[in-house]
Amino acid sequence: MAEKLDVKQGTLALMILKTLEVLGPLHGYGVARRIEETSKNRLTLNYGTLYPALLKLEQEGLVTAEWGQSENNRRAKFYALTAAGRKQLAREAREWHQTADLIAAFLAPRRGAP
Amino acid sequence: MRHLRAALLRITGFFTGNRAESDLLDELQSHVDMETAENIRRGMRPDEARRQAMLASGGLTQAAEAVRAQRGLPWIESMAADIRYGLRALRHSPAFTTVVVLTLALGIGANTAIFSVVRAVLLKPLPHKDGDRLVYLRQSRDGPDGANIAFSVPEVRDFRTGAPSLGGIAEYSPYSFTLQSDNDAVRIDAGLVTGNYFEVMGLAPVLGRLTLASDDGAGVPPVMVLTYDYWKRRFGGDSGIVGRQLRLSGSSVTVIGVLQPAPFFPDRIDVLLNMVISPHHVSAQMVEGRTHRMTEMVARLGPGASLQQARNEVATVYQRLQSEYKDAYDPGSHPRVAVISFKEALGERARLTLGLLMAAAAFVMIISAANVVNLTLMRGVRRAQELVVRAALGAGGRRLRRLLLVENLMLSFMGAILGGLIAVGSVRLLIPLASRYSPRANEIHLDVAVLGFTFALSIVIALLLSYAASLPREGSYASWISAGLGRVSGSLKKQRVQRGLVVAQVAVSVVLLAGAGLLTRTMIRLSEVDTGLRTEEVLTLEVSLLELRTLFDPQAQVAAKQGYDRMLREIKALPGVIEVGLGSTVPLKSSSIQLPVKAEGKALDVGEAIPRAEFRTANPDYYRAAGIPLIKGREFSSTDQEGSGRVVIVNQVLVDQFFPHEDPLGKRIAWTGDILRFTPFSGDWRTIVGVVGNTQDGGLDAEPRPVMFMPFTQELAFSGGLVIRADSNVAGLTDAVTRIVRSIAPTAPIENVLTVAQIKDQSVSPRRLNAALVSSFGLLAVLIAAVGIAGVLAFSVSARTNEIGIRMSLGADGGRVQRMILMEGGVLLALGLVLGVAGAFFAARVIQGLLFGIAPHDPITLIGVALLMAAIGIVACWIPALRAARIDPAITMRA
Repeated sequence: MAEKLDVKQGTLALMILKTLEVLGPLHGYGVARRIEETSKNRLTLNYGTLYPALLKLEQEGLVTAEWGQSENNRRAKFYALTAAGRKQLAREAREWHQTADLIAAFLAPRRGAP
Repeated sequence: MRHLRAALLRITGFFTGNRAESDLLDELQSHVDMETAENIRRGMRPDEARRQAMLASGGLTQAAEAVRAQRGLPWIESMAADIRYGLRALRHSPAFTTVVVLTLALGIGANTAIFSVVRAVLLKPLPHKDGDRLVYLRQSRDGPDGANIAFSVPEVRDFRTGAPSLGGIAEYSPYSFTLQSDNDAVRIDAGLVTGNYFEVMGLAPVLGRLTLASDDGAGVPPVMVLTYDYWKRRFGGDSGIVGRQLRLSGSSVTVIGVLQPAPFFPDRIDVLLNMVISPHHVSAQMVEGRTHRMTEMVARLGPGASLQQARNEVATVYQRLQSEYKDAYDPGSHPRVAVISFKEALGERARLTLGLLMAAAAFVMIISAANVVNLTLMRGVRRAQELVVRAALGAGGRRLRRLLLVENLMLSFMGAILGGLIAVGSVRLLIPLASRYSPRANEIHLDVAVLGFTFALSIVIALLLSYAASLPREGSYASWISAGLGRVSGSLKKQRVQRGLVVAQVAVSVVLLAGAGLLTRTMIRLSEVDTGLRTEEVLTLEVSLLELRTLFDPQAQVAAKQGYDRMLREIKALPGVIEVGLGSTVPLKSSSIQLPVKAEGKALDVGEAIPRAEFRTANPDYYRAAGIPLIKGREFSSTDQEGSGRVVIVNQVLVDQFFPHEDPLGKRIAWTGDILRFTPFSGDWRTIVGVVGNTQDGGLDAEPRPVMFMPFTQELAFSGGLVIRADSNVAGLTDAVTRIVRSIAPTAPIENVLTVAQIKDQSVSPRRLNAALVSSFGLLAVLIAAVGIAGVLAFSVSARTNEIGIRMSLGADGGRVQRMILMEGGVLLALGLVLGVAGAFFAARVIQGLLFGIAPHDPITLIGVALLMAAIGIVACWIPALRAARIDPAITMRA
């Protein structure tokens, strides 16, 4: 089994936003499952990490929350991306790519003498 | 923007927590339900499915807590919870709370009170503009009256030209006047100042104007400026005072202004006037007389000039003056000029005493803080179970530490508030003490800075208490719980801290007690000093029948002498009065006139200081009335009149100085020196006709000085001191005597109406106050230390209950257990005593200047103090030892 990773501070918000963009309005359970699946179970999310993050996004106006019915008729709170959330997602994704490129360049084995 | 919105929502979340709360729990519950359903779908049994869902959640409570932290303002919320919790916890242990709050209050109160005095008297910036640029110049020489001999006008002039670092020099001459109103006459202390005085001092008026250069010189009207305190005290802060005419010693003077509040040095002053009021001060004699030293100097350092620069320049000028004017300086008495900052000069008399009190208060603080730390540590051990449970339930180390901090802050704030109240009361007691030593005593207030000091002190204490306690480390909860909490408690390390604190408490208490003992014995020694008077039933008062203007008027002289004669006659006729004497000054008070003396046929050795003596006059009855013993020769008689041969009576000190192995009677002595030119006294030879005993005129702790008495009738009656001896209760005569004096001299101030017992007390009482303050600190310290020892031993006993039970069941009897505990306490006590006595040895040397008639390492005091501390300490050990001896092994082993 692959090594379990802790969710890095700041990356969770990005994952949540992306999940909501891909899957549309979704409850906390769904978000957690999706993130765990996407990470091939290398990430585990406990509630104490997930729900404060969701609340923070809601407070920042990037997502909205509303009670609704789940697929198997359970009452659940659904989170949906707002316009601001979409914009924020685009910006953070871009920044993340840039950072990732940068880090990759740094960590790559050096070619030739400096 | 995004963050602002979040912050606003968090603040609203803080207030609207309730609805969101049920919402949150619902949401978490629905998550668990969905996960359970999913697990069942995968084929788990329902109960297993639910358990797995719960495990995956990481704890619903923790999750809810994390969300709550994000929702509102967790810091404030949990703080509020901590405060609620802390209050409840403190309410549940009222004894602990009371002892801690009281202990802290005493320590904080004492420190706040003393600090408020220290701040006002020593630390606060002067009210003068750029007050830190002011310097005080003091000329002094060896000898009893040489501590401050002031400057002459020519000397001031030379410093002004020779020391450019002194940007401006303010001069003033102390002077005293009688302020006369229709039905009253009081003495007021004045300063005669030059026009630049206020500008140099950097002082401004609160009303009217101050003196200017145009007020200098002879041909101007006399004007005066009231000091702020005097304006409040005498005129009730009357805003219409400017322009009023007041009668000062027979002259009419206009009030031109009121000065801002400011301290004066070295004398307290009621009013300031221009020089013209005293013709002498504008005369050529004063202005040109190099030895006529009547002027005090305060200077302002020029821009960029340093104190050291000023010192160097002043020293250079002074050296030149000494070689240039040989007659004006007596090298035998080592004349010198000191340049010190004015602020320092204002505080110099208070520094030692305040340092002593501040140290004593700090020691009390150390002891009480040590005690509180000990109490908290012990309580912490008893609370270990609670803390471990809280930690196991998810409170992190930081959270627990914060809980402790909040609790301790509450304790120390309560202590600070109570301490503040104690300080308010004690500051009132301290102001009279401070005003004896400092002209700035009226600046003492519990102001913001002082309260800030108290606040800071209480925060430091709370931090100390919170970090002294050790918390259960994460990951060790299980071992704590399984070990059985009671057993972990007696951890040796913690006990080592507690024991160390007890040793420190004992040591510090011993130091304080030693200080208290030395000061108390100083006070007792002082009150036992022989005043030189054979009786205490003596009332003295001073009344001056001549004003400055009439001092040299022959008719006024005759009238004054007749007035004194009438007073003597009428007072002598009062029932109970045995004898009434008259002299220039009353006994036990130093004469303000000290002049150089020479004896016929005696030359001074090279480099020997010119001897000086006090100038006094006395009538024939003076010595008998005062109870001053006549050692040789005769008293003055009625035949020693003006115009008859000049005779003199001297005291024993003068005889020892001039005629150590000869019969002084019939020898001739005379006043001498350049200074005589400025006095109404002649340098004629005078024949010694009598020798009287020494009296403690400079205070009980001062060496008696040489004195020459002239017959009252042969000199100017420039002042009059009445000495009245009665058969009993001389204080009861005060009213009758004052009435007689007032009827004969309706416009003369009657001053210093005091019995000998009261004069003595004036000399002793500052010492008594010192001794009482330090003693109460000392006793407080011992008490707290005793509680500390008893507490730590009791704690040790309760932690070792099991062990003691085992020992007893193995055959140790009560006595042996008791000895064991006594031994445990005894070691701490002995260690503390040794350290304390060593500390006292050093501390005593520091306060040497406050001692009198006793060596700083007086063995009797040190031994006595050590014995007292040991006795109290043993009693404190005995109580827990007895309790240990009564432990029933059967009960403890079963428990």
